[in-house]
Amino acid sequence: MVSLVIPSDISFVVLTAVTIIGAIIALQAKELIYGAIALAISFIGIAGFFALLDAPYLAMLQIAIYVGAVVVLILFTIMLVRRERGEEMDKRTDAAEGSMGLWLAGLLALAISGVVALAGTSLPTQAPAASLPVSDLGPALTLQYPVPLIILALLLSAALLGALVLAKVER
Amino acid sequence: MVVFPPTTPAELIALILRVITSHTFITIIIFPGFIHLTLVVIFLTWYERKLLARIQLRIGPLYAGGPGGILQPLADGVKLIFKEVMIPYKASKPLFLGIPLMMVFLSALPFAVIPFGQHWVIANIDVGLVFVFAMTSLFPSMILIFAWASNSKYPFLGGLRSLFQQVAYEIPMWISTLSVVLLAGSLNLVDIVKAQEKMWFIVPAFLSFIVFFIAIMAELERLPFDLPEAEPELVAGWYTEASGAIFMLIFMGLYMKLYLMSSLVTVLFLGGWWGPAFLPQPVWFIIKTLIVATFIIIPRGVYPRIRVDMLIKTGWTRLLIIALANIFLTILLINSGLLAAWGI
Repeated sequence: MVSLVIPSDISFVVLTAVTIIGAIIALQAKELIYGAIALAISFIGIAGFFALLDAPYLAMLQIAIYVGAVVVLILFTIMLVRRERGEEMDKRTDAAEGSMGLWLAGLLALAISGVVALAGTSLPTQAPAASLPVSDLGPALTLQYPVPLIILALLLSAALLGALVLAKVER
Repeated sequence: MVVFPPTTPAELIALILRVITSHTFITIIIFPGFIHLTLVVIFLTWYERKLLARIQLRIGPLYAGGPGGILQPLADGVKLIFKEVMIPYKASKPLFLGIPLMMVFLSALPFAVIPFGQHWVIANIDVGLVFVFAMTSLFPSMILIFAWASNSKYPFLGGLRSLFQQVAYEIPMWISTLSVVLLAGSLNLVDIVKAQEKMWFIVPAFLSFIVFFIAIMAELERLPFDLPEAEPELVAGWYTEASGAIFMLIFMGLYMKLYLMSSLVTVLFLGGWWGPAFLPQPVWFIIKTLIVATFIIIPRGVYPRIRVDMLIKTGWTRLLIIALANIFLTILLINSGLLAAWGI
């Protein structure tokens, strides 16, 4: 069995760089299409994190669903909404919004470091020795966590019904 | 004796020999990797032209070397390489040139997990099937981005149609393979083929074979589902503006995808490498795959094209329901014990 994982800190650093730079470009790109492509690259970086954590199934699904479906929907929306090519985007992001984002990012970093500091030594320092096979995922979902699964199913049905109501055309 | 790093010429030669005779190198570069894929893609372009010509009572390629003009694809390739690459006015240059490369890359990558024989597989990973789907699901977005980058009307319409098509076929395609996964009890393509030693899955999962076959016809933009490149309406659809080497790359990607999907049908439903022992395993695999490819090509000479709304209606009201019903049928079959004789 070939593992997808390259056990090295270098891959972690590269993936972090790809994810964060992709996310920044996704927000800052003048042309929305380039933004969507940068978002796709950022998602691929997150899929790389899943692969690094020895969860290849999640990594593949991340690529298939987020890059293959969600980004395509975003592209679709961008292309169907009429706007001039290369229109200036700068007017919308003024200084106040930028500083707000910085404050939020700082708060989030503070919260995460606080949690890590409080958890202290109880955090696991090593990955579990054997990676879980994909076939354990089904029993875990249906036997161990049936209630969250049912709630998730209800939520998805509600979202589907909502989409149908929104898309309904009066004849 | 192999020494690393090498100090004398003899050691260097020994090292090089060791590398190029290693299993990893052979599987990646020669078979089932790079050289094999290139040769098959070249063969498939000639094969399609010849087959369609026979269906339409024409002769097809004839003069370019060998029997039946089999060197025609090489002549075409040389012609396309020496042609100028036209980049449309105000097109997005990096995307216009980069996306065709990504297409070839994306359609070649899934071959890493396709088992051509028990030991002829590059990467035997646990989630092989999901890997193939993850890579192929990126294709429509590539088409859409390329269509947008061309900055032209017809490619854009073709790209949007490609997206409608993906919405219609992708969910039935994924769901139809679930019954195979249930029968084999694994997402690993090698394990799926091993489970078919006694009986090919086309028998217990016939309905899902039908759904999967129709869905991959749509995935490959083959008639009757070639809406994104509909020649009479959209010139050449999403690759109207592609010329020269760019056009060649796109075609290589498309034919590699044809081969990929045919080999996926072979893996999932036709027993992969299994066959009578007088031929080696990869030969059986390639024979089966080329037969599947033939059945994917033939409708192009036979059927007319359907409309977008017909495609979406077929996908959501027929294929999806058949695929979902087939899952319950498969669970019933497995639990009834009727398949126990085949080791399922």
